[in-house]
Amino acid sequence: MWSSILSPDFFSAILRAATPILFAALASSIASKAGITNMALEGIMLFSALFGVIFSSLTQSAWLGMLITMVLGGLIGLALAFFVLNLKTDEILAAIAINLTATGGTVLLMVAFSGDRGVSSSIRSVSAPSVVIPLVDQIPFIGQILSGQNVMVWMSLLAVVILHLFLYKTPMGLAIRAVGENKNAAESVGISSRKVQYIALIISGALAALGGFYLSGGYMNMFTKDMTSGRGYIGLAAASMGGNTPVGGFLVSLLFGMAQALANIMQLTSVMPYEIILMIPYLTTLVGLGVYYYAQKRKKERLSGK
Amino acid sequence: MKKKTLAVLLTAAMTLPMCMAAIPAAAEEDGEPYKAALLLNGTLGDKSFYDSANAGLTALQEELGEDKFQFKVEQMGATSADEAKWEPTMYDYCDDGSYDVIICGTFQMLDALTNAANDYPDQKFIYFDEAFDYSAGGEENVYNVMYKQNEASYLVGAAAAMMTTDESLDMIDPSNKIIGFLGGMENSIIKDFLVGYIQGAKDIDPEIQVAIAYVGNFYDSASGKDMALAQYQNGADVGFNVAGSAGLGQIEAAVDSGRYAFGVDSDQAALLPDYAANIPTSALKNVGNSLIRAIKLDMEGELPYGTLEYLGFAEGGVELVMDEHYEEILPENIRTTIADLQEQITNGDIVVPTAVGENAMSNDEIEELISSVQVQ
Repeated sequence: MWSSILSPDFFSAILRAATPILFAALASSIASKAGITNMALEGIMLFSALFGVIFSSLTQSAWLGMLITMVLGGLIGLALAFFVLNLKTDEILAAIAINLTATGGTVLLMVAFSGDRGVSSSIRSVSAPSVVIPLVDQIPFIGQILSGQNVMVWMSLLAVVILHLFLYKTPMGLAIRAVGENKNAAESVGISSRKVQYIALIISGALAALGGFYLSGGYMNMFTKDMTSGRGYIGLAAASMGGNTPVGGFLVSLLFGMAQALANIMQLTSVMPYEIILMIPYLTTLVGLGVYYYAQKRKKERLSGK
Repeated sequence: MKKKTLAVLLTAAMTLPMCMAAIPAAAEEDGEPYKAALLLNGTLGDKSFYDSANAGLTALQEELGEDKFQFKVEQMGATSADEAKWEPTMYDYCDDGSYDVIICGTFQMLDALTNAANDYPDQKFIYFDEAFDYSAGGEENVYNVMYKQNEASYLVGAAAAMMTTDESLDMIDPSNKIIGFLGGMENSIIKDFLVGYIQGAKDIDPEIQVAIAYVGNFYDSASGKDMALAQYQNGADVGFNVAGSAGLGQIEAAVDSGRYAFGVDSDQAALLPDYAANIPTSALKNVGNSLIRAIKLDMEGELPYGTLEYLGFAEGGVELVMDEHYEEILPENIRTTIADLQEQITNGDIVVPTAVGENAMSNDEIEELISSVQVQ
């Protein structure tokens, strides 16, 4: 078991498993920073996983497919914003509606497009390529981890940096955080909270779309029904656990990815019932959440002098 | 006044079907066609089980003609959100009363079927791919058909064990004797696959090791891929997936690692032509065949309702795809042994251990079998 854990394959597995969670966590954190819980991530990701397959096959280009998927993901974010901000729907209920629509809607679209119902096996999609980094791939161990990863793994890491800069170094980012902290205060200095929240949810949708695209065009190379299997919700939890900051979300996603990869290795050799092993990633996240909030509570108590 | 008329009409409209339902359904003698309803707790297009059932009924209709046999397929969906409508749909069809037989399958439908079979003693049911519990008594209206998946997976295990040390195959690392198994959830059917697989492999090579993993559901293909990758990276060079669409992850993992994976429930080499080079063959349950057989028997009034039947190689209930593709990938010596083993199973010389039915192994025996092939 230890030799498996100390192999470069294990670290590659961590990055692979962490990437969709990370996209979802980033999507969740920008929405949360603007004061909205975007629970529709799961549905947006599922739709995007299918859109990615369909549009990359129509355009025969992974990049064009990805771009269209991001636009469509952004549109779903826009729809959510419209429900919540204009029609005053409860944000959780609107999200549940989107998620349920995605479960059946993806199958409906897949049938309409290709006649497939369970697996998109007759759609000839194009996946995002893996990148071999010259020279780096010659380095033993590290090179094996870093080189040959899917390009979207790098994009997710880049997204962490960009989103961090956007939220903390730009006027728009400041406006988003201000609206999330206190809508009325932000309005009083002339920020249109509605506009800001619209923008945040559109970006959130586009980020989730990347996570969905990665699932069917990088992680796997086809769409299978319900393939997100809760990754949107895990991303939501990861963002929350990371304090809704991009860097925090990144760290928690890595933790989750590590727990997932570890669980896979444990199934190989362990005599433990598999149900317990399968719980490890979720349990790790749950325990992590608990520890984080306990620490937060202690910090608050200390600051308030109790 | 208008409202009152409407109410009367509505009441009439609602009671009418009820009266009609009271008229006994089975009426083939008056030239009425035999009607079957196929209730799927999933959707068509799985290129597996449900498609096989549908294909069987379609073939039967073509054979007998629409005036003799008609059927309707109801697709109820497979997700947890769909679960709530399985039982009501079942009751709707029972209420309808015009169906000679209602067909459903898999362990997930067991509760709904048990309730419906008790509430509608005159309605006949065919239930496939999970053992119906007759012990409560009174369910003389359910015919239960199961498949000896252990027989098919015995052959897969034997083939895998022969492949893992065969240097003539280009995607094999002959230095170890590890083969892989990816299951969806640990239920009795999957266990039956597993014990057959292990026994088949052990009978070829007693030193074989089997890496076993479960996805935990039948749809998370990405997780399935990761688990299978872990198996391949740690020495397995042949795998067998019994995990629904999550199992497709194993096939992708085999392609990425340059290894082999056996398919299940549908001819996965034909389903995924791009990956066919990595898929020697697939183990199939012939749901369609078994339904044709059952309905034909029922038309003659000879279907043994109230009993459970297991169909194996001998009855055409299971099969291993042996087409040109299979011959292309597997060398002749392996194919000869497989054909020989199948012959021995069919005529009863080999009795494959099973995890279901009367002769099922106890849980302890299964655990013992699994630990005897544990990866070191």
